[in-house]
Amino acid sequence: MKKHQATAFLLLLLAALVCFFAGREFLTMHEEEAVYPSPHLTIKKRLSDYFPGLKNSPGDSSVYIFEGQKMGGTLLILGGTHPNEPAGFITAVLLVENLEVTQGKVIIVPRANNSGFMHSDPQEGNPQRYSLSTPGGPRWFRYGSRLTNPIHQWPDSVLYVNPAGQKLSGTESRNLNRSYPGRKHGKLTEKIAYAIMQVIDNEKADLAVDLHEAAPEYPVINAIVFHENSAELAAVTLMTLQMEGVDIRLEASPPNLRGLSHREWGDFAKTRAVLLETANTSHGRLKGRPSATLIINGKDKNYMKAAQLGLLFVPFDEDGISLKQRVSRHLASLRALVSGLHELHPDLCIQLDNLPNPIEVQKVGIGPYLTPSK
Amino acid sequence: MSEAVIFLLMVGIFAILAMILKLPIGVSLAISALAGALLGGKGLALRHLVEGSFGYFETILIILAAMIFMKVLQASGILDSITALMLKTFYRKKLPLLLTVMVLIMFPGMITGSSTAAVLTTGVLVAPVLIRLGLSKVKAAALIAMGAILGMIAPPVNILVMIMGAGVDMPYVGLTLPLLIIVVPLALVISLWLGYKDIKIIRYDEMKSILPESVFSLFGFRLYLPLVVVLVLMLSQSLLADIMPDIGIPAIFMLGSLVGLFCGRPFHFLKITQEAVKEAMPILSILVGVGMFIQIMTLTGGRGWAVISFLSLPPVLLYLGIGISMPLFGAVSAYGSASILGVPFILALINKNAIITASALSAIAGLGDLMPPTALAGMFAAQVIGEKNYFKVLRYCIVPAFFLLFVGIGVLLLAPILDKFI
Repeated sequence: MKKHQATAFLLLLLAALVCFFAGREFLTMHEEEAVYPSPHLTIKKRLSDYFPGLKNSPGDSSVYIFEGQKMGGTLLILGGTHPNEPAGFITAVLLVENLEVTQGKVIIVPRANNSGFMHSDPQEGNPQRYSLSTPGGPRWFRYGSRLTNPIHQWPDSVLYVNPAGQKLSGTESRNLNRSYPGRKHGKLTEKIAYAIMQVIDNEKADLAVDLHEAAPEYPVINAIVFHENSAELAAVTLMTLQMEGVDIRLEASPPNLRGLSHREWGDFAKTRAVLLETANTSHGRLKGRPSATLIINGKDKNYMKAAQLGLLFVPFDEDGISLKQRVSRHLASLRALVSGLHELHPDLCIQLDNLPNPIEVQKVGIGPYLTPSK
Repeated sequence: MSEAVIFLLMVGIFAILAMILKLPIGVSLAISALAGALLGGKGLALRHLVEGSFGYFETILIILAAMIFMKVLQASGILDSITALMLKTFYRKKLPLLLTVMVLIMFPGMITGSSTAAVLTTGVLVAPVLIRLGLSKVKAAALIAMGAILGMIAPPVNILVMIMGAGVDMPYVGLTLPLLIIVVPLALVISLWLGYKDIKIIRYDEMKSILPESVFSLFGFRLYLPLVVVLVLMLSQSLLADIMPDIGIPAIFMLGSLVGLFCGRPFHFLKITQEAVKEAMPILSILVGVGMFIQIMTLTGGRGWAVISFLSLPPVLLYLGIGISMPLFGAVSAYGSASILGVPFILALINKNAIITASALSAIAGLGDLMPPTALAGMFAAQVIGEKNYFKVLRYCIVPAFFLLFVGIGVLLLAPILDKFI
C-alpha cells in the first residue's frame, strides 16, 4: 500500500470512529425521559388523535387529560414549545404527576415540540440532559433546542412566510411559536401547530397557556403576555400575583407580530390566549459555561455583571434565578389565572387539587413533587 | 482555569499551528478546539466537536453545490460567452459598466440575504469582464466581495436584521428606507473607489483581441438556461416564499448544474464535480474547524466572556466596541455576529429607533463576511478569480470596509435625527 493510500485509510478509519461515537451520543437524544402521571389522570392521548397527519412522526407527543366530575371550564397548558426553556417543561411535568381535577378539564402537553427535544443547538455547547433529586433518587430530563430537529424538517428556506403571513428568517420555520395557526399539509412544525389548534378547537379550551422562558436580557420577561380577548383576565391575575408578592408585569400581544401562540390562538381559535415568561440564564447570549448546574441553579457571573451594567430586565444577583424559582413562578401564575377565570366567569370554574404549592416548591425544591423513578 | 485564559490559549495554539507549523487553517482550528476542550476539563468532547461543525452544514452544502455550478459554467463555455457579451456592451462605458456590475453583484444578495450566493452567481459572471477591462484580479475580487456584502444588507431581504429582530420581537417591517439610506451611497462610492481608476476605455480592435470565444452562435439562448434556472428558483424562494416548495439553495445550484449539461459545450460531469470538491475543500475544512472552535469556546465559557467584555465597555466606547466586535465576531459568520452581539447591542441602544439601529448594526455585522478565517464573501471572491492568498484581496477591501463601518456607526449616532424622516 502506498503511503498516501495508508494515510487516506487511516483518516477514513478515524472519521468512521468519530461518526460512531458521536452518533451514539446524538442518538441518546431520541430517548425520552419517564413521566409518571398522577393516579387521577383521566386519559392519555396523542397529538395525532387530534390531527392524524402527525401519526408516527417525531412531532407526535403525549396529551394528558384530567377531567373532573363536575362541569366547568377547560384549560390547556403547553410546556416544551421551546425545549431549551426547562421551566415550562418541568412545570407541565409537575402538573401531570400531581394534579387532581374535581371540576372542569385540564389538558397538558409537556413536550409541545417533541422533535425539538431530540437535538441540541450547534455552537451553544449545551448539555443533553439535567437531573433533579427526588426522594427516591435522581431523575433526568431532556434539554433540547428552540427549533425542530433539522433531521425531521430540512432544508430551511431562505425566507419563511409563516401561516399568518409574517416574513421571517428561514430558520424560524422550525420555531413552533412562529408557526401558528399551522398548516395541515405544511412542514412538520406547522403540522404540530395545526394539531395544537385542533386540540384547542376539539376540546373547546376556554383558556390556553403557553409556558416559556426567556434570556434575562430579553425585554419581555417575568411577564404575562396576553391576547386582547384576555385583557381582563390578565389584569385580575396580575393583581392576585402582586398580592402574593410575585413581581410580574403584563404585556399585550402585539397585533403585528404574527404566528405566535398568544396572537393566533386568540385570533383563530377564539380561546383566551396567554403566554408566561420567566428568566432563564442557560439560554441567554451572555451565559458563561453551559452546564446542567447552570440550568438548575441559574447562577452566572456574566449575568451578574450584565445586571450591574443595567443590561437586564430582571433583578439578578449572586443567588441567580434557579429552576425551582422559575417553576414556582409558573405555578403561581397558573393558579392565579384559573382563579381569575373563575372570578370573571363563574361557569368556567376549574378546580385544581394537589397543585404543587408555589411557595413550597421555592422552599423545598421540585424534587419532592416528582415521582421517584420506577 | 478561567474562561479568558482557556480562550487565549486556544487562540495561541491556533496561531502556533497555523503560522509557525504551517498546518492547514482548518486542521489548526480543529486541534486548538480539541486542546481547549482538554484544558477546560471537558475531555475529548467528541459530541461537541461534531455538533459545532454542523453549525456550518448548510453553508458547506451551498459552497459545494455552487462550486460545481461555477465549474459547469466554465466548462460548457457559458461563462466565456457571457463575458464576451458584456465586453461588447460595455467596453467604452466606464461608469455605466461599474454601476451595472455593482447592481448585478448585489442583486442575488438582495434577494437571498446571502453574500455567498451573490459572489457565486453574478460575481462569477462579472469577474472576467472586470479583469479583461484592466482591473487587477485582486481588486476585482474586492469589488465582488464588497458588492456581495452590500447586497446582503440591502432590502428587500436582510437576514441579519431578521435574526436580530427575532431576538427582540421586532417584525421585519419598515426597513426598506433605512437600509437604502445605508446601501445606495456606499454602492456608488465603493464601485468608483475600487474600479474607476483602473478600468480602461478601450478601442474596438482592442476589445476584439481580448474577447473570449463565445459559443452563443452554436447554442443560442439555451446557453443562459442554467443561470435562468438558478436565478428564477432563488428569486421565487424569496418572492413567492408562501407557494414555492423549499428545495434549498444547494439543490438550486445542483439543478442549474444539471441543466448546464445540456446547454453548452459537452464536458465530463463527474470530473467537473471532482475538481469542484478539490478546490472547495480548504474552505470547507476551515468552516468545519471554525464550528468546532466556536462550540468549544462556548462550552468553556469563552464566548460569554467575550460578549460581556464588549458590553462592559463604558458608554463612550460602546460605538467603538460595536465597530470592533461585530466585524470580529463575523469570523464565526455575519449571521452569528448578528445573533450573538446584534441582539444585546440593540437592547443596549434601546432608547433609539430599533429599526434604524438594527439596519445600521446589520451593515456593521455584514463586514464579518470579510473577516478571516471564514471570510465567506472574501474567500469566495478570491476563489472566483483564482487567487489563493485571501489577504491580497482583503488589502483592497480595507478602505471600502471602513466606508461601510463609518456609515453604519454614523447612522447609529444620527438615529434620533433620521428617526424624524423615516
